[in-house]
Amino acid sequence: MRNLLSVENLTMKFGGLTAIDDLSFDAKNNQITSIIGPNGAGKTTVFNCLTGFYKPTNGQMFLHKEDSKISLRKYTDFKIAYAAKVARTFQNIRLFPAMSVLENLLVAQHNELMVASGYSLFGLLNLKSYRDKEQLAVDKAKYWLDIIGLTHRADDNAGDLPYGDQRKLEIVRAMCIEPRLLCLDEPAAGLNPKESAELNKLLRFIKTEKQTGILLIEHDMSVVMGISDHVVVLNYGKKIFEGTADQTKNSKEVIEAYLGVDE
Amino acid sequence: MEKKDIIQSFKDSLFTGLIALALFGPIVGLRTASKGEGLFITPQWEVVFLLVGLCILGRFLINLNSARKTEITFFSKITSKFSVITEDKAKHFAITAILFAVVFPFLPFTDRYFMDVAIMILTYIMLGWGLNIVVGLAGLLDLGYVAFYAVGAYSYALIATTFGWSFWICLPLAGVFAAFFGILLGFPVLRLRGDYLAIVTLGFGEIIRIILINWYEVTNGPDGITGIPRPSFFGLPFKRSPDEGETSFHLFFNLEYSTMHRIIFLYYLILVLALITNYFTLKIRKLPVGRAWEALREDEIACKSLGVNPTNTKLTAFAIGAMFGGFAGSFFATRQAFISPESFTFIESAIIVAIVVLGGMGSQTGVVLASIFLIGITEMFRDLEQYRMIAFGGAMVLIMVFKPKGILANRKPTILMHGDKK
Repeated sequence: MRNLLSVENLTMKFGGLTAIDDLSFDAKNNQITSIIGPNGAGKTTVFNCLTGFYKPTNGQMFLHKEDSKISLRKYTDFKIAYAAKVARTFQNIRLFPAMSVLENLLVAQHNELMVASGYSLFGLLNLKSYRDKEQLAVDKAKYWLDIIGLTHRADDNAGDLPYGDQRKLEIVRAMCIEPRLLCLDEPAAGLNPKESAELNKLLRFIKTEKQTGILLIEHDMSVVMGISDHVVVLNYGKKIFEGTADQTKNSKEVIEAYLGVDE
Repeated sequence: MEKKDIIQSFKDSLFTGLIALALFGPIVGLRTASKGEGLFITPQWEVVFLLVGLCILGRFLINLNSARKTEITFFSKITSKFSVITEDKAKHFAITAILFAVVFPFLPFTDRYFMDVAIMILTYIMLGWGLNIVVGLAGLLDLGYVAFYAVGAYSYALIATTFGWSFWICLPLAGVFAAFFGILLGFPVLRLRGDYLAIVTLGFGEIIRIILINWYEVTNGPDGITGIPRPSFFGLPFKRSPDEGETSFHLFFNLEYSTMHRIIFLYYLILVLALITNYFTLKIRKLPVGRAWEALREDEIACKSLGVNPTNTKLTAFAIGAMFGGFAGSFFATRQAFISPESFTFIESAIIVAIVVLGGMGSQTGVVLASIFLIGITEMFRDLEQYRMIAFGGAMVLIMVFKPKGILANRKPTILMHGDKK
């Protein structure tokens, strides 16, 4: 299986604080790679570097395509999603609450629709070419809504959905940009066991059917151990362990990091 | 309602009376009058007691009312009347309103004064619709919208007086100039949101006004620009005695000369301009760029994570909003035939923002209702002279109390998957 993402010597400093210290790891295509670690270990900072919200102090991040690789450092801000096709979700859900579920999924397809609408010109003239493209976008939204079972609520405001559904909606909204790499920041936070199980199913589906690599930050170990192909453990910005879920469970370093060391 | 509650609310209203006494006592109670040499204080306590009494009574009634929440009260009756107006019904309202607007100049009671007020209301409706793109859809609080109105008015006036081009050429040019200024303002404020954005846009509005006052060579400073050409009816001027070789409107149509012709023409002109603004906004809201505006209002970070370019999105909102402000400015210039910086003060911006906010952010029909309400009220109470601003303020307070999200706060999705469920 080929590499999708390689992070090399990533360092991020905020003033005197080193949030990530010389971190290197790889994530493979069609795999779920989990980043775990105690609070403040620098997990979300890794995500913010990968998705262009922070500019890392040092180090490189490469996204591998079939025959070439692109450096994520070159892309900042919205270009990460637009050009590099790296999508993310947020620890605290960031939907567009006053817009409908369907509209949320259409905003995710903004760039294609913008071109199709001739930067609004064709759209204002109501040309058929635009209407067809818009219908395709609606179909794609419906496809994803069918998968998470929210089609019947497509016209309701996203903010009115139950919490668990909002989580799922945020994930499929990210999938609507057809990412190569999907970064999920604590998708199971606040979910009950049943919802967590549904989330696992959704993530497995994305992994196997959509040829997308998933990078996952999670505290819920039932999710991490249940679906991860690969686990990276961080503590104080450093990688302390890397391996399969089973190896991680039995690792002395990891247990020490979480539970402390016996004096 | 229990006896304890009544005593409690009575105490509360007495306290209100105390505050009212402290306020009204010195302000209203002591009046200075000049008799012979020097000033003397004439007390007028009876007015103070009347005002304080009103405050106590009003507070007591409000208290009684809020204690009986479950029962149908006078206030809740009013509010429920208002909440019946949803966007669905708004459609019928819109059609009726447009029909009424079209026949309005020919109604029997319509006179010159009514026409002038109607033109003014329509101008504010157009400005409100223009600003609605920026504030209501894109969520960028712009307190300097009058700057674009001014840019439009001055570009129209300068182009028309210098080159003598017709209204229909100057109008788009004025719009383009205003849009350009919109982008000019947009660039430095891209990173700002909320309060900070409001302060900078407020400053921008003042900068434009001060430039207009001081750039004497071009704008003629505080004296303003006079002799701006009046619009003509497709080449037919509204003049009693046309120049050599010209036919004027009343001669062409074989009518008795009347100044009302021009007023009616101006009325239809602003009606059409406003309806174009409305049509454009309704259309563009359903396009990707419109949805991106609203998404940006909801959550900018989420927009970035989905690859929406916030810079372009904000700039288009500023530019398009400014363009409509510019159109309205051109209309203002041609209607008045005279403009000076005095017409473009901060209070204008404040009124336009008030119209958008009171109407319900992003609601097109709400803007219409709020304009009629606010401008209409200030006109209705013109006889009260300086006190009419109290009516204006009171109207705003009332709307905010009963409809905190604006008159029409319902937002309808731009696209439906299941169609209209009824």
